[in-house]
Amino acid sequence: MAAPGQRLHILDRKIAVPGSSYAYPTTRDTRVGIVSASSNAYAAAGGRTTEVSLSAFSFLLSEMVQHVQARVTSIDALERRLEEAGYAVGLRVLELQQFRDKSVGKRKTRLLQALQWVSADMWRALFGKTADSLERSTENADEYMIHELQPITNVFVSVPPDLGQLNCAAYIAGIIAGALDGACFPATVTAHTIELAGQEANITAAGGPRCKTVFLVKFSEEVMRREAQLA
Amino acid sequence: MFLQLFIINKSGSLIFHQDLSPAAPRLSSNDSLRLGSTFHSLHAIAAQVAPIASSGIEKLETATYRLRCLQTLTGAKFVITAQPNTPELEVVLQGIYELYTDYVLKNPFYELEMPIRCELFTQHLEKLVERYNAASR
Amino acid sequence: MATSGKQHTRLGEQAWNKMSKVNAEFFALTYGAMVMQLVQDFEDTAAVNAQLDTMGYNIGVRLIDEFLAKSGTGACADLRDTAETIAKVAFKMFLGVVAEVANWNADGTAFSVVLYDNPLIEFVELPPQHCELLYSNVLCGVIRGALEMVQMKVECRFARDVLRGDDLNEIRVELKEVLAEQMDDQYFEGM
Repeated sequence: MAAPGQRLHILDRKIAVPGSSYAYPTTRDTRVGIVSASSNAYAAAGGRTTEVSLSAFSFLLSEMVQHVQARVTSIDALERRLEEAGYAVGLRVLELQQFRDKSVGKRKTRLLQALQWVSADMWRALFGKTADSLERSTENADEYMIHELQPITNVFVSVPPDLGQLNCAAYIAGIIAGALDGACFPATVTAHTIELAGQEANITAAGGPRCKTVFLVKFSEEVMRREAQLA
Repeated sequence: MFLQLFIINKSGSLIFHQDLSPAAPRLSSNDSLRLGSTFHSLHAIAAQVAPIASSGIEKLETATYRLRCLQTLTGAKFVITAQPNTPELEVVLQGIYELYTDYVLKNPFYELEMPIRCELFTQHLEKLVERYNAASR
Repeated sequence: MATSGKQHTRLGEQAWNKMSKVNAEFFALTYGAMVMQLVQDFEDTAAVNAQLDTMGYNIGVRLIDEFLAKSGTGACADLRDTAETIAKVAFKMFLGVVAEVANWNADGTAFSVVLYDNPLIEFVELPPQHCELLYSNVLCGVIRGALEMVQMKVECRFARDVLRGDDLNEIRVELKEVLAEQMDDQYFEGM
């Protein structure tokens, strides 16, 4: 388990992510510490079941969404709560990977390294595949997009028309945000539903999904400033 | 060639109705609702009047169509009609039941026992039916 | 005729092999995130435990149909068959682990499901302020909800819990009532 001292703390970890209406809880101490980060827990985990059914995950997520839906009054609020849930997971996933793979543990200093770790290594660890694509926004230097045709959260979900653009992959957006923040690249991450057009629509089998998910990653000013200095 | 699919919940209400080919008879939504509850009642009566333990109507054969019903242990009924000599009705119904357990029951926006309006379910249902129609030609 | 023990195991393996899989750690972390949200939403541990049971129930009433559709299990012959089916087929199919049935009472109306391997508790340690938390209580709700949909009313609770210091996880299942199928009002009202 990479001890806090091994990382250069350029940024204060307890920051409010610019553009969001609330501060992500950042350190383990400020949150209820049930899911332990102790190295004992991580070390002991090896050798047990490595897989569960997709159904178990889908039912769990479905119940989480229903639970949240009963307590919020807007689509945005629902997505924010899913993001919050994912954030803690993102932090943990980063810690896990660093604990396990000492070479990966070497701190990512550049933005693109961190993003590539997320869209390839982290994606593979969680979802068994790399993200469909990673691209940089042509309009904004601080924005990147991770494309995923069918996020694991959406496999069985049909969003009714009255819920418009709601995307349950907001949970995954939270995971990305948590992992990036843990790696000292804080960003606002949101999940967007994009209709497939042109070539992509032809490639998916007839009757396949008509939409895909794009995770919009908007890095904080500190990160962009640091990147500029390192360049 | 399949004609129509009806799904009836355990209280006897029709929660899904889909024409599976252009040859399907035209039914108003009231007709199909009535049909659903009538079938539910007949199904129950059939089980009751049987001299031995019975699980109700499974098959119905007529000169112009055949009907197959799958009643789940949870009380839902999947009813499919098809032209005579359409094979594998049970297999298709089983496949539809599985689609229901995936694309309806795992949808957080679907409320149990309510009418089914899940786009993915309909999409996969159409694909399934088309696959079987193509295979039997 | 009741299915034999070997058949339950085989059914469980077959069903598990057909299921799409996800990473177990990702699943455990997701469950952990959900429990943390509940702990933040509800001040009181008893309320969290109850909510976990309710959420499990909501999952169970939906999960049962997938189990029936995909496991190849028909109606169970008796409660012993039901118990073995839950432990060897259902737990295997959905969680990839095999549980055991133990501790039948004299009447044959109550049994325990013993879990040596619980995918929900990967990485979890209960801090002292949450020592009363029944972390995996969702499992009790799932069993309760699933069985209710096939006309069995049961009570389920954790008798032993690894996170609270016991050496294994034991879920106690007690049959309260077998619900008779009833003609509903629609039939009596005519068409």
